Amino acid sequence: MRLLKALGEWLDFRLKLGEGIRDAATHPIPKSSASWWYVFGSAALTVFGIQVVTGILLAIVYVPTAAQAWSSLQVLNHDPTLGWFLRAMHGWASNFMVALVLIHMLQVFLFGAYKFPRELTWIIGVFLLLMTLGMAFTGQVLRFDQDAYWGIGIGASITGRVPVIGGALVHLLLGGPIIGGDTLSRFFALHVFIIPGLLIGLVSLHLLMVLKLGINEWPMPGRIVRRETYLKEYEQLTHEGVPFVPDAIWKDLVFGASIVAAIAVCAAVLGPFGPGGQPDPTIIQAAPRPDFFFLWLFSLLSLLPPQMETPVLLLMPPVAILILLLVPVLSGEGEKHWKKRPVAVLTVLVAAVALGSFTHLARSTPWSPAMSAWSGAPVPISELKGRSALERRGALVFQAKQCRNCHALGGAGGMRGPALDEVALRLTSDQLIRQVLQGGGNMPAYGKNLSPAETTALVSYLETLKPEGRPPAHDASQP
Amino acid sequence: MSGPALWSRAAAVAAALALASCDLPGRPGPEPEVLRPEQVLDFATLYSQNCAGCHGAAGKGGAAVSLADPVYLAYADDATVRRVTANGVAHTLMPAFAQSAGGMLTDKQIDVLVRGIRGWAGAAAPGGIKPPAYTAAAPGDAARGAAAYQTFCARCHGPDGKGGSGGHSIVDGSFLALISDQGLRTAVVTGVPGRDAPDWRSDAPGRPMTEQEVTDVVAWLASQRTQFPGQPYPSLNTTHGGKQ
Ligand code: HEC
Ligand code: HEC
Ligand code: HEC
Repeated sequence: MRLLKALGEWLDFRLKLGEGIRDAATHPIPKSSASWWYVFGSAALTVFGIQVVTGILLAIVYVPTAAQAWSSLQVLNHDPTLGWFLRAMHGWASNFMVALVLIHMLQVFLFGAYKFPRELTWIIGVFLLLMTLGMAFTGQVLRFDQDAYWGIGIGASITGRVPVIGGALVHLLLGGPIIGGDTLSRFFALHVFIIPGLLIGLVSLHLLMVLKLGINEWPMPGRIVRRETYLKEYEQLTHEGVPFVPDAIWKDLVFGASIVAAIAVCAAVLGPFGPGGQPDPTIIQAAPRPDFFFLWLFSLLSLLPPQMETPVLLLMPPVAILILLLVPVLSGEGEKHWKKRPVAVLTVLVAAVALGSFTHLARSTPWSPAMSAWSGAPVPISELKGRSALERRGALVFQAKQCRNCHALGGAGGMRGPALDEVALRLTSDQLIRQVLQGGGNMPAYGKNLSPAETTALVSYLETLKPEGRPPAHDASQP
Repeated sequence: MSGPALWSRAAAVAAALALASCDLPGRPGPEPEVLRPEQVLDFATLYSQNCAGCHGAAGKGGAAVSLADPVYLAYADDATVRRVTANGVAHTLMPAFAQSAGGMLTDKQIDVLVRGIRGWAGAAAPGGIKPPAYTAAAPGDAARGAAAYQTFCARCHGPDGKGGSGGHSIVDGSFLALISDQGLRTAVVTGVPGRDAPDWRSDAPGRPMTEQEVTDVVAWLASQRTQFPGQPYPSLNTTHGGKQ
């Protein structure tokens, strides 16, 4: 014991770290800040720690070459003891980290913690969010399965739309004109060196600023932040405050530990992610899906009218990032409490509902017009009941021409177009014929791909799609 | 929660992990997560991805032939089912599935499908009577078919086939353009299970159709085909040059 103490003193005399650590640990914080609401940032840091450790262990086995990446993950899944568990931890921790970073940001936003003097802390936080998403995206690519192919493919096609330099950017991203071995090397470098390096640097800075500027106090309605007076008021609060260790830190520790436990349970029960199907461009039946936090992007892509895609894709991310960066600049002072900031609360709600519903849509929409996507779902028996021989053929045309990829019947089918269960209430047979032959909206024209007999059968089937006993749509221009 | 409680919880988790590392639910099975599509050899998967959309879940209640119908299975043999699955039926909505015919399925997968469909057959042939042969032995005669139609079919499909009290039109040009002669024969022999369309035994009470009558009725139906089916569209005045 005495030996240890002597060793410690010897080291500290030379390193000069002890005092700083002691100061940091015991620095006083406002009483109200020792709260369960203030644990998300530290939990995100804890999860980042897990990612570093599990990531290094994974890198020992993972082979970042196009030929072997996929099979090295198979090996990890099956051969080394608990190799699968390692993959599962890394995968689940990634999801948890994205979620925690988002929750942390949300809390900081709603508590007005980004206001003077913590503006830069927020701005760095925005970059930390981007890097976390970057890690999630590059990590998914390293799986190098069909989903990864999809991810890079979409990423590349978005990048390729940048005017003038698009082609060169794609080349830089992929390491060549196509997705191949060089692509994987680039993403490997990004995922294990470049982004983590930046992440560690910025996280340190972020933490340092939290220490130096103090943890945000619990907001009170009516307590206004002003540049001139805030520092004094805050000092007053810390005077009456409590030391960070142990009064606040135990909550961080308990929450962090529960998160780790939750990740471990998810990993143990739900297992690792993929790897999904082999990345082979010759497999055209593939129906890949990106990880959940990018799902909303897919439904946005598939729902936008084609001529809007490029502007939206190119403008939306920079504008969104810019808005986030400008938040503390634009409202660096004023009310902190959410009750007095209706616009802020409303913005959060709208964003949450939009992202939530896009994500939900994407879960029920097929990715690609693969044959098996939806045409595999049988026509509901109730929607064949009482139909004539011709109408039954029409139902077959509907299946064979894969209308189901965009249109649902009986709740099963794509969502790009409207569900057609009651279409005969809305459209007359003229309108149905026109819609099928000429398309319109986001629907392709089928005129050249349907014989007259097929069209007749199809339309006569569509005309039966209405609840029994209700009259069909009526053309107002005809008597 | 206090420190010791936390530690004991962490220890419990660690112990549980160490103990159960062999059979935790999350542990991946021995196969790759996702098979290459040509490696899928599970009948239920193959059937539901490729056939259920038209032939119905479990081979029943679809808009195309009910493959699980015992009458159908007594009438068509494995070679037929394999041939049709592999090559499709030209000019109808039945696609070819064999890779050799431009489809996506390997011969092995088609074997799995054929065996699975056969597996739906119960032990015995229906009612003891052997169904008519799958293919007609000799060409049918439309004139005799018209007479047979009156005997067996008119009570439901009406005197001229354009629809009656028990069924809709079966002589619509577009319908006939989308079904093969063999498809018509199958419809006459098996009826439409799940609907009030009887099979060859019970079209007329107490008297099954003979092989020849089946062949002749099909010849009569085929003779009702029109040259330009579906044209002009009943209500839209566009001139339209589609295929066929
Ligand atoms: C690529 C996706 C896509 C495919 C494939 C597709 N549709 Fe559509 N369909 C749409 C969209 C989008 C609309 C809505 C058009 C609009 O807003 O004007 C639509 C509209 C319709 C409507 C009008 C519905 C209404 O309530 O107004 C009908 C009928 C229709 N489609 C039938 C079909 C049929 C039949 C097929 C197959 C031959 C088919 N669609 C294939 C996307 C598709
Ligand atoms: C797009 C709709 C569609 C799909 C998908 C489809 N079929 Fe068919 N099938 C048809 C139609 C229509 C016919 C009748 C063709 C005719 O007119 O002879 C048919 C006929 C058949 C027949 C012959 C019936 C007879 O008269 O003896 C068999 C066997 C068959 N299908 C098996 C399959 C199998 C197995 C699959 C899946 C691998 C499949 N079908 C997928 C539409 C389909
Ligand atoms: C008891 C009444 C009844 C009799 C008798 C009958 N049918 Fe039908 N048939 C139906 C019904 C009901 C349908 C389902 C479609 C509809 O409502 O028209 C049908 C459907 C059909 C179909 C279309 C099958 C499909 O795949 O959609 C054909 C072809 C057909 N019948 C031919 C015949 C012929 C030929 C005969 C005489 C040998 C006959 N039917 C006798 C009631 C009958």
